Amino acid sequence: MNRRIAEPSHLIPAAAGIGWRFPHHERVLRDRPPIAWLEVHAENYFGGGPARRCLEAVRRDYPVSLHGVGLSLGSAEGLDSSHLQRLAALVREIQPGAVSEHLAWSVVGGRYLADLLPLPLTEEALEVVSRHVLQMQEALQRQILIENPSTYVQFPHSTIDEWDFLTALAGRTGCSILCDVNNIVVSASTHGWSPVTYLNGLPPAVIGEIHLAGHTVERTAEGRALRIDDHGSRVGPEVWALFGAAVRRFGPVPTLIEWDTDIPALEVLLNEAARATKILSGSDRADSA
Amino acid sequence: MIFAPLESALTRTATPELDPERVAIYRNNCRRALARALSISYAAIERLVGTAFFERAAYAFIDKCLPRSACLDDYGTSFAEFLERFEPARSIAWLADVARLEEALNRALHAADADALDLSQLAGLEEEGLARWCFTPHPSLTLLKLQYPADRIWQSVIERDEAAMAAVDLADGPVHLLVERDASDHPQVSRLEPIAWRFTRSLAAGTPLHVALEDEKRFHSPEVIAALEAVLAGHLAAGRFVACGRTEPI
Repeated sequence: MNRRIAEPSHLIPAAAGIGWRFPHHERVLRDRPPIAWLEVHAENYFGGGPARRCLEAVRRDYPVSLHGVGLSLGSAEGLDSSHLQRLAALVREIQPGAVSEHLAWSVVGGRYLADLLPLPLTEEALEVVSRHVLQMQEALQRQILIENPSTYVQFPHSTIDEWDFLTALAGRTGCSILCDVNNIVVSASTHGWSPVTYLNGLPPAVIGEIHLAGHTVERTAEGRALRIDDHGSRVGPEVWALFGAAVRRFGPVPTLIEWDTDIPALEVLLNEAARATKILSGSDRADSA
Repeated sequence: MIFAPLESALTRTATPELDPERVAIYRNNCRRALARALSISYAAIERLVGTAFFERAAYAFIDKCLPRSACLDDYGTSFAEFLERFEPARSIAWLADVARLEEALNRALHAADADALDLSQLAGLEEEGLARWCFTPHPSLTLLKLQYPADRIWQSVIERDEAAMAAVDLADGPVHLLVERDASDHPQVSRLEPIAWRFTRSLAAGTPLHVALEDEKRFHSPEVIAALEAVLAGHLAAGRFVACGRTEPI
C-alpha cells in the first residue's frame, strides 16, 4: 500500500498559522479556509484510521508541522526506539514542513508521565539532550526545532541559564530553536527572570519558529501570582508585547497560535493569527503611529 | 506512589524549600491528561457510571498504572481488568466486559491501515490448493468472547436508547463478537455464531484453512463445514484479511 504524498514538502511560511485540533478537523477539511499553515501533535497520528487520513488530506492543501510532546529528549535512560520509529514513519509519509520537540523530560523507568517536566540545566544535561537531538535528527533525516518550556521549579545545582542552554544546544547539534514567547513570560514570572534578557540571549540566526499561547494566573495560599501554562485562552498583553520585541529582534518567523485546552471556535484562532500577522508585517506599528 | 520518580528526582536535588505547590502543578497536569485520555477511550463506561464515579476509577487506575508510551491512544488496555477488581464497581458485574469491548473498538479505530487481500490472488486456485493457505487479519480485527451482552449495552449507551438499555437481558451470554474498522473507518461490533467465531479466530491466529476446518469436522456435519466455507468467503469479501500465504507445498 502506498499512501505517501507525492508533492515535495511544503515549507512553513514566515506567517501566522494555528494549531489544528480535532474539533476543527471537519470544518477545515470541508471549507478549506485560508490558513497559512497548521501544526499538529505528532503522537496523535501514530496510529492509522480516520485520524491519519485527516492529516493526509489536510497535508495536500496546507503546510503542516509535526510538534512532538513525548520523545523525552531529557531522559538519561535514552530515547524510546519504538516511539522514534513511529515518528520517523509518520515524517516519511507526511513530509511535514517542520518537526519539533521540547527541552524537557517525560519518561522515567519506561513510564510516560504525560507532562513536560523540568530539567536541571547542567553540562551533563546539555550532553544528554544534545546526544538525543542528534539521534532524533539522524533518525528523521532532518533538522528539528527545540522549544523552550514553561517551568515551575528550578534545580539549585543548575549552572547554565536556560537561554544559554538552548543556544549551546543549537550550536552543538545544528537544531533550530522554537521560541515559545508565552513560555518565556510564564517561566520568567515564576523564576524572577527578565523576559527581555531571555529573548536577547537567543541568537536570531537559530530561531525557526515562534509559539504564542495563553496562560492562566492563579493565586497561591500566600496571595502570590502563579502563572500556569495551560494553552487554553487568548494570548495575553504581556505575550503580545514580548512577541513584538521578538519580531523586531528575529525578523519575521513562522508563528503559531497554540491553543490546546477549552478549544474555541475556529474564528477565534484565526483572529489571533490575524493579529500575529499584523505584528509580523510591522503593520501594527503603522496602526499605532 | 506512582509519581515517586518525579518527586524523588525533584526533591533529591532541590532545596528543602521546594514548593509543594509547584510539584503539584506537574502531578495534576499528568493525572488530568491521562484521565482525559481514558475518558476519550472509555466514553460508554463514563456514560454508564457517571463522570464523578468514572474520574474516581480513572484516577485510581492512573495511580497504579502509568502508560508505557506517549501515544495515549494506546493507554488503558488493562482498564477492564482494573474495573473487575475495583471494589466500588464490584456490584456492576458486566462493567468490565463493556470496557473490554470499548478497548477493542478503540484499538480498531486507531489500528494501522492495510489494504484488503486482492481476491484475484485466490481466483483459479483449486479447492485443495486454497486449503493450504493461511490468512493475515486486518490490524483492526479482534475476536472477543464475553460473559455478558456487552455489545447490546454499549450500543444502547452510544445511541442513548434507554428502552434498548432496559431490554438488555444480562443472562444473554456468553456472546461471541467480531470487532473491526469498517470501510467507512467506523469501529463496528457484530455477533457471530460460536462455531463461526471459533473458526474465524483460528484463521486470524494464522492457522491454515485445512487445519481450521479439520478441527471443526470432528464435531460437526458436512453441512456445517460448508457453512464455514461461506463464512470465510464473507470475511474475504468484507476485507477482513489482508494477506495470505501457502504453508506447505501442495
